Amino acid sequence: MTLKAGYLPGVSDDDIEWQTLSYNRDGQAIDVRVPLLSDEQMKHLSAHIKEKSRHYLKSLPVSDITAIIDTAITRLLDRNNAYRQQAEEYLPLITGYDAEMIRLGLTGYLKTFRQPELRRFIAEDFANPKLLDEFQPLPKGGYGRAYGPDLLAHIWAGNVPGLPLWSLISGLLVKAGNIGKVASAEPLMASWFTQLIAEIDPELGECLAVVWWKGGDVEQEQALLNQADLVVAYGNNETLQQIRDRTPITTRCLTYSHKVSFGMISKTALDMGKAWEVAHQAAFDIVRYDQQGCYSPHVFFVERGGAVTPQEFSQYVANELDCFEEKYPRRTLTIEEAGGVAAWRQSEEMKAFADESNSLISNDGGTWSIAYSAAVEDLVPSGLNRTAKVIAVDQLDDVAARIAPYKAFLQTVGVAAPPAELHRLAGLLGAVGVTRISALEHMTTPEAGWHHDGRFNLLDLVTMTEVERSAEIASEAFPNYVD
Amino acid sequence: MNFAGKVVLVTGSSRGIGAAIAEAFAAEGATVVVNYVQNASAAEDVVAKCKEVGGDATAIQADVTSGEQIQLLVDQSLQDFAKIDVVVNNAFKPYTFDPDNRKQFADLDWQDYQGQIDGALFSTYTMCQAVLPALKKRTQGSIINIASDLVARPTIPYHDYTTAKSALIGFSRNLAAELGPLGIRVNCVAPGLVYPTDASRKTKERIKEMIIAQTPMRRIASPEDVTGPVLFLASDWSRFMTGQTLYVDGGLVMK
Amino acid sequence: MTEAQIIETLLEFIAADSAGENEFNAFALQIFAYQFENNAPYQRFCRQREKTPRTVHSWQAIPAVPINGYKYLTLTCCDPEVAERVFMTSGTTKDGVRGKCHHPTLEVYDASMTTAFRQRFMQDHDTIRMGILFPTEQAMPNSSLAHYLALALSEFGSEGSRYLLTDDGLDIEQLFSELDRAVQTGEPYALLGASFSFVHIMDEMERLGKSVNLPQGSRILDTGGFKGQSRELELDEFYDLLQARFGVPRDQCINMYGMTELSTEFYDWGNSTCPSVKSGPHWIRSRIVNPLTGLELPKGEMGVLVHCDLAHFNCVSSILTEDAGIEVDNGFLLLGRAEGAEAKGCSMAVDEFLKAAQG
Repeated sequence: MTLKAGYLPGVSDDDIEWQTLSYNRDGQAIDVRVPLLSDEQMKHLSAHIKEKSRHYLKSLPVSDITAIIDTAITRLLDRNNAYRQQAEEYLPLITGYDAEMIRLGLTGYLKTFRQPELRRFIAEDFANPKLLDEFQPLPKGGYGRAYGPDLLAHIWAGNVPGLPLWSLISGLLVKAGNIGKVASAEPLMASWFTQLIAEIDPELGECLAVVWWKGGDVEQEQALLNQADLVVAYGNNETLQQIRDRTPITTRCLTYSHKVSFGMISKTALDMGKAWEVAHQAAFDIVRYDQQGCYSPHVFFVERGGAVTPQEFSQYVANELDCFEEKYPRRTLTIEEAGGVAAWRQSEEMKAFADESNSLISNDGGTWSIAYSAAVEDLVPSGLNRTAKVIAVDQLDDVAARIAPYKAFLQTVGVAAPPAELHRLAGLLGAVGVTRISALEHMTTPEAGWHHDGRFNLLDLVTMTEVERSAEIASEAFPNYVD
Repeated sequence: MNFAGKVVLVTGSSRGIGAAIAEAFAAEGATVVVNYVQNASAAEDVVAKCKEVGGDATAIQADVTSGEQIQLLVDQSLQDFAKIDVVVNNAFKPYTFDPDNRKQFADLDWQDYQGQIDGALFSTYTMCQAVLPALKKRTQGSIINIASDLVARPTIPYHDYTTAKSALIGFSRNLAAELGPLGIRVNCVAPGLVYPTDASRKTKERIKEMIIAQTPMRRIASPEDVTGPVLFLASDWSRFMTGQTLYVDGGLVMK
Repeated sequence: MTEAQIIETLLEFIAADSAGENEFNAFALQIFAYQFENNAPYQRFCRQREKTPRTVHSWQAIPAVPINGYKYLTLTCCDPEVAERVFMTSGTTKDGVRGKCHHPTLEVYDASMTTAFRQRFMQDHDTIRMGILFPTEQAMPNSSLAHYLALALSEFGSEGSRYLLTDDGLDIEQLFSELDRAVQTGEPYALLGASFSFVHIMDEMERLGKSVNLPQGSRILDTGGFKGQSRELELDEFYDLLQARFGVPRDQCINMYGMTELSTEFYDWGNSTCPSVKSGPHWIRSRIVNPLTGLELPKGEMGVLVHCDLAHFNCVSSILTEDAGIEVDNGFLLLGRAEGAEAKGCSMAVDEFLKAAQG
């Protein structure tokens, strides 16, 4: 089976060098052909996208754009749609994630991009969304209008299906021309989405492209960075540093680095009636995309003093993970990934027999593991791929101080606590750099319009053009109707 | 069914149904803790048979009516084998099954009831308390309690005995409900009259014939008949069953 | 068994020509029972793995301690105070603590080393003139490799054998005069040392435009890889260079694979092709496992090496290494260190986090 990734308006397929990425999961092989552009072709493509975005997209009202995206999303939500069916069939083979988990995950994710959610998304960043369409009076005086870049370059990473749609749609909402570079780990979803947009509105389709190069290919990367007006990049610190270093000084570069997320469970959530439910929710957050997301939990700080002890809670989570293994089996790991998990387990195991109050539970196949520590420990990422740690604490309030040193890496905290405590914890967590607090079970499904890593997703993409009050006043001196 | 690498503790397994269960597990490769109270040489015979049929076994003396001794039994088992996968609560307080001379309700003291409840329930309760920390640590395990089909069909109303066994089933269901979220299963096996065992040796032919006549499969259970359902409930083949009671009586009871 | 009995049996075992599966298994289980009984941390480890001597019936089932375990645990059956020698591991904890291997006696280590060295490196020589490219045992008393090389020199080095590393580093003049002497006399010569030392020497020889053609029967033993101590070379390039600089054919360049956490070494039969097939003597056996499940992998699949070294009787015989390997006929291919993969998504991996957190 061979599929094609990428989307290149204004460039003929025949002129391009195609490479093949091969995937082999549990005996099922699949090839994906990906386009590799020359420096010249990248320039040509960039010019094409800039030109089309200037002439078409910039004059398209935001409400039209949201309507087009809504149509595309509605089709992707329809299980009879050909693109949707491709996604359900091939994404599990490409990424290794359980098919049912992908199906449910896609639906949950895509739902956050329907028109009402998109409008909410815009309203989060623009009190007056018309700013994106035309000059609007500003409260301070004068007029202003927000312009998106002519060419927004996205450098995507990772294998969580559909994640590129996030920044791509953000780009469209601010009327940017977009070229996105897909990761080898999942090159398809963004390609399909752009094709779908082009089918719905061919002219808008001319404002979008999806390209590929092998991660770390400096020349290819440079070719795009040179053309872009704004860069959005995802990856680890090392990769991002390189991208930033190579981005021309006049071009802004927005980076989204790897993050660590965790859960917090109050003793009031640990009575006999609720503990199981909370454990179920915590386990779900661990299972979703095998902890590959920046919002996936690595650690759960669990408060002592509830009817169910933190250690018993870890046992509940263990059993829930075992149940989820039936429902959404973990993907098969490469030997290197297995080594990573094994290394984490070994170090937890060492701690467990150095101190018998610690423990480690896992199943025979090693498809999940839960470590438990009776003593407060620092925040350290887990071994990923369904490994997590329960750390018992006397008071949840004490956690914030312990995680403060890791400010640069913190993102989501899933909290199970009563209202007063939730709000108190939010204050403590926000102060040390946590940017998102969600319910357990929702850690991996941010709501529409969330501020990724605490940033203003749309505002960060635009530049404001302001007509100052002085210009208005001065202009009054020049018309021919002046008395 | 492969029990290689599994550690199975069977209370009261030096003779009768318990011995048959121990040997059946061993035949599937299990390591069996053969618990006994008095008859060390019988227990050693069972151990020898277990090894002969391909398993491993060790005999540990403990009176399961004593909480202290139960704890020692569990501790010793963990000392030797580092884990326990399956517990079969089979031991029960001696009871004379004599239909002709059974006590009528009016003649029963509360002490008779209390004695049976202690025999059936106290030992199981204590054993479960003692073994649970080890099972919870691994979030897996199977507990099997031996009841009686008399709870569903008191062919002969052995009031005190059957009431205690009925309580055992209720006990098991509650425990199953609580331990399900921790991956631990609790089930019962309820045999009919099993012959020959020490407890049934005195059962009159007339009674046996009466039971056979009412049993669809037209015979009385042997100790070996009980082992299959016990092994099944201990195995992954029943991994989604908990709180159940399997009747092993040739169809005498159907429910 | 007592320590004395184990030592005695081991010496006999090593002296024998070979050992069948049953003999190896039986002795491995006895040593396991001894270690389980006499080393509390190892017993706790085994109990956590739900294994006791009672439930382990084959050497493959003996719980293998991750090599990292030495950093956290004192794995010794004898009183650490009375050990004749302590070798320290290269890995350290974040507090800078190094793992220790205690040897109540070096008798077994030495018997193991000399027996295998004679078979695998000396081949048909009784002695050979040696140059050692490594510090002396006195300079590095806690290095098992220093002891290994000292033993090689004292047991198999003919007169005139010497260390070519001084406190000031490589004695290049002495090295060249030894090499020239060998060429002139035609007496076979052996160079032994850390792989990275050879790289330094060859870089220096290149600078000076020096190369020699050592007489037939000469040989080279390198060990340990480059470990960031020198530039990293592809193995083929490394052995090509050795052949070119010293005139020792690649099939006479032996790579030894050993570690502090073992008392036995593996060798190849030369490096005419890389990676070479490694194997050990009859008192050590290896398996290739999936590091996560611990299950043995089919022949030909890459996994992580587990060794069961009976000679390492005082610590733990079975260790899980971090070395990747593939089982082949007559041994295994060593494929370097097994690295954990970076996370595929935007979730942070442990290594990355630690690097970033340290700034």
